[in-house]
Amino acid sequence: MIRRTLLLEYGLEPGWMAPFVEGLLKGDAMARRCGDCGIKSFPPHRTCACGGSGAVWVCLPGTATIQFRTTGSDGDFALVQFDGADTSSVVSLQGIAEGQTNGRISAPDDAVPKLVLGPIEENNR
Amino acid sequence: MPHHSVAVTGASLTPFNRRRDGTSWRDWVFDAYSTALAMSDLEPVDIEEIFLASESDFFSLQLNPASILATELGLGGVAVTRCEAGGASGQVAVHAGVRAIRAGGARHVLVLGVDPSASSLSGDAMRALYGFSFDAWTDGMAGVTSTALYALSYQAFAAHHGTTEADLASVTRQNRANAMRNPGAHLPRGDTAEQINESPMIASPYRRLHCSPLSDGAAALILSRRDAVPSTRRSAPGIAGIGASTDHMHLGARSDPGAFAAKTRAMERACAEADVMPKQIELAEIYDAYAGAQLQGVMALGLSDAPGRDHQDGDFAPDGRCPVNLSGGLMGQGAPVGATGVGQTATCALVLEGRYHAGLQPQTLPNYALADTHGGVCTTAAVTILQREAAV
Ligand SMILES: [Zn+2]
Repeated sequence: MIRRTLLLEYGLEPGWMAPFVEGLLKGDAMARRCGDCGIKSFPPHRTCACGGSGAVWVCLPGTATIQFRTTGSDGDFALVQFDGADTSSVVSLQGIAEGQTNGRISAPDDAVPKLVLGPIEENNR
Repeated sequence: MPHHSVAVTGASLTPFNRRRDGTSWRDWVFDAYSTALAMSDLEPVDIEEIFLASESDFFSLQLNPASILATELGLGGVAVTRCEAGGASGQVAVHAGVRAIRAGGARHVLVLGVDPSASSLSGDAMRALYGFSFDAWTDGMAGVTSTALYALSYQAFAAHHGTTEADLASVTRQNRANAMRNPGAHLPRGDTAEQINESPMIASPYRRLHCSPLSDGAAALILSRRDAVPSTRRSAPGIAGIGASTDHMHLGARSDPGAFAAKTRAMERACAEADVMPKQIELAEIYDAYAGAQLQGVMALGLSDAPGRDHQDGDFAPDGRCPVNLSGGLMGQGAPVGATGVGQTATCALVLEGRYHAGLQPQTLPNYALADTHGGVCTTAAVTILQREAAV
């Protein structure tokens, strides 16, 4: 048996996605509104389905409705519709009880920029 | 531009399983290649180009593996290309080989697929790496697993088409039962529906027994220009059509997150090339990463408009109108990623020639067979339609 251990530490520049990534770290839902058709994508699309690439960043209210939810030993995840967005988003659910249908984007607790949906009450701002 | 027709002169799969015998991925490739070459009645000097499918250097700890394998196989000097498209890597390599021959670039090519997905890293490390098979900067960073993403897509499909836990059990039981007659299968099992429905929940509705395993293994194909096929191999089946497509990388950006739209487009393209309709397919190896993905696949490929019902009615059983995953599929035979698509096409070729495992080989040879592979949550789809060569 050949044994070898690698420890890899990545430093990935987010490039055009920087406003989205910085928003996630603060608990803000930064979407892109297409300059051509007005569709708001979240997570943001660099190129809109209409072909338009001119877009502006907009901050969504941050609340979302759960469409489909999956639970098990892999964790708690959902496909949700953020208010004000025209696309759905896959999120990690934190502290959202079974049967609860709404939540609010929440800043991650480990400095990894990720889409987390927590309870609306606790994150009321 | 010349457009030569392509025949499958050699096809081979190693067993798919978790190796515990001290062999390496280089050994598996050597075995698959040697068996395929012997079947082709060609010599090593006839091979002009290698297309290798291998999903990730993380699994093998070997960058640039195609040139390493050219040396290992004694084929130094040939042109090599490594093909990668996540789970679809193997079928994309088949397509690259087909195009090389069609375009007149080579008369005989070797298509290889390999990955040590079971034995080289821990299961947790593999799951973490697979999490970056989707958009790494959104889904990946959120820690969404492959099983969870597939579960969300399947829930959307089930909500639309009314498929149930019984349908998931039906697919699971059939694939694992087929695997019991495949001596190279990773998970030959005879679980009851009750045992399936009581296995641990991974990501609802997917339980452990609804999931395909991580496997080790390799597969090889020798593709030849029809007019260069050895006289002893005139029964070699042909490649009738290939097609590939992509879908939006985010499930939430798709108009229907439960539909495998890329697969539908890939199939339309392959059918147009082959001049066949989906209903003419009489054998299909379908990418069943999860039980529900097989239902979604059967629907997207146009093989059924009620996949749950048709599975339960036996349409896709070994004696049905279109046997699906005779090999056991990913769920039963196993899933060494890069080898999967190459192995699916090899399985179709072996069945079309009547050379498949005795316990699974249909008595009446199908005319058309379909190999269907995808990567991501069907973010990349690649399908190949094979045709039996008329008796000679
Ligand atoms: Zn637009």
